[in-house]
Amino acid sequence: MTPVTSELDVRGTPVRLQRAGDGAPLLFLHGAGAGGRWLSFQQALAQRFDVIAPTHPGHGGSPAAEWIEDISDLAFHYLDLLDALKLDRVHLVGASLGGWIAAEIAVMASHRLSSLALIDPVGIKVDGWIYPFIFGMDLPQVVATVFHRPEAAMALAPKDQSVDTLVELYRQNAAMARVAWNPYLYDPRLRRRLARIAAPTLLAWGEHDRLAPLVCAEAWRKEIPNSRLVTFSHSGHVPHLEEPAAVAAVVIEFCQAARS
Amino acid sequence: MKFYYFHLMPYVIDHGEPSSWVTLSNRHYDPAVGHTLYHQYLDQLEYAEKLGWDGICVNEHHQNCYGTMPSPNVMAAMLVRRTSRAKIAILGNGLPLRENPLRIAEEIAMLDVVSGGRVISGFVRGIGPEYFSLAVNPTHSRERFYEAAELILRAWTEEGPFPFDGRFYRYPYVNPWPRPLQKPHPPVWCPSQGSSETVEWAAQRRFPYLMVFTPIKRIAQIYGEYREACQRFGYTASPYQLTVNLPIVVAENDAKAREIAQASALWVYHVGLRMLPPFYQPPGYTTEPSLRRVLTNRPKLPTELTFEELEDGGYIICGSPATVRDKLRVFADELRAGIVCSGMNGGSHEATLEMMELFAREVMPHFREDANVDETVGVGR
Repeated sequence: MTPVTSELDVRGTPVRLQRAGDGAPLLFLHGAGAGGRWLSFQQALAQRFDVIAPTHPGHGGSPAAEWIEDISDLAFHYLDLLDALKLDRVHLVGASLGGWIAAEIAVMASHRLSSLALIDPVGIKVDGWIYPFIFGMDLPQVVATVFHRPEAAMALAPKDQSVDTLVELYRQNAAMARVAWNPYLYDPRLRRRLARIAAPTLLAWGEHDRLAPLVCAEAWRKEIPNSRLVTFSHSGHVPHLEEPAAVAAVVIEFCQAARS
Repeated sequence: MKFYYFHLMPYVIDHGEPSSWVTLSNRHYDPAVGHTLYHQYLDQLEYAEKLGWDGICVNEHHQNCYGTMPSPNVMAAMLVRRTSRAKIAILGNGLPLRENPLRIAEEIAMLDVVSGGRVISGFVRGIGPEYFSLAVNPTHSRERFYEAAELILRAWTEEGPFPFDGRFYRYPYVNPWPRPLQKPHPPVWCPSQGSSETVEWAAQRRFPYLMVFTPIKRIAQIYGEYREACQRFGYTASPYQLTVNLPIVVAENDAKAREIAQASALWVYHVGLRMLPPFYQPPGYTTEPSLRRVLTNRPKLPTELTFEELEDGGYIICGSPATVRDKLRVFADELRAGIVCSGMNGGSHEATLEMMELFAREVMPHFREDANVDETVGVGR
């Protein structure tokens, strides 16, 4: 199944969108470095759902949006996207940075969500844990921190080392830094707000996550009232890339149960 | 030609760590050694005034062994009362690195008043690693720089109190006491790395522009762009808006100078400027056009340069007094620069003082056709 790629104007901000599958609408928010890539995880979800996968501004070759100042701007941006697509309710799935955005959306507008699935999200401050500073790492260090299975990183390898590609990567990093440099990878106000989430929530977590380890998962589970934690034993920070079939199966089952 | 003595105040050590910035553990720093070094370095700057240098320069860098002046204004304060004639150039304060840049306006005004109007105020963004060390969001660097500069210039020139309501900095009352002594304000210099945006910004305001630790050909190209920009803004750049800025090593003959230069210059490039690749260009610090320019014609990293490349590329000047005179003349002509801004390192404190004496005796007097000109008249303001 090849996704249909389209470009949409959301209140003046261009959004690149990949979409495939039939069924209830499912909005997938990608993590850093995965923008614009249709991976086997999305492919699996598209067997059961109408998967809508936008690229964050500045990521995956999209132009940056200068008005974005912090993570809540991205959450409002995606609420605007739902309005533009005339989607009243969706299943919302987000990984890492995308999980953080998804959680911000959920605390603002839980009533727009049929279910919420967060895959190793960042975004809250966890007592006793400081996220390692990815921006200060060279590529081998980043891979070692993010992946339990380094071979899975190949899915995110840049297509070449041309000036255009390097500028794109730099723009993507800058878009990430804009919202996540300091405080690094979290919103100090989000944790207290998580209690507002009424949608059934799945927390899918790699057991070997070295960026946001299981102690973080426990904090999320404690704060979100109707939440369930499922861990994946062969994954680090990105189980949807490291064990895509297994994670997709759990997410699909969870979304289907939430619908009925 | 005007001569400014430039100091980095390095903490010279050899270490096997991948970076001399941000992550080099401060366990390598021995405060007892630091005590001796600070006094030697300050003595050198004070001695430069006695020997005839027109200005002495300090600068700001954080969490590294390359330069141990996290607060240049503190260093300038020490020099202000121990000197009486030389300009004191702070090259510069990292404006975006300050949470409250009104403090910079206050501190520079204090220094200007105490010094009797001898302060030159450099405005810089700070280099890449500074954004890691101080955790300032690099994606705001450029806008914070412009906004802080506007705030400081207005604080120095407009009668207070007035409100300032920027995107990053907001004050109900801008009203610094003291006001600076120099009118309309202390000269502003812009040390920079060659981005076209900063070139335009400085040229428009007649702020002198300088580049540090860059090959002479690239400096000449950027200075050319600066002069063109000045023309576009309706004036011809004064030679005192541009500097020859590089380390100088002078000794009684070329061979001896080379020997000294090899040790000191290679430490700066191979150790002092060694850093992890991500530190060079923090995300969002560089504009995309500037990044493209760098990537398309990627300069060698400091750690990749051999001594021959440093010498031939015009990163340093070394030689006998006659050789140094010739090279300096060539550089000054090529850059059309009216100021030589450079530091010296003889390998020890005593040897450095001797080198300074030799330079003051055998080089400086040959460039003094403008002895009676005040280089700050009409520039930097």
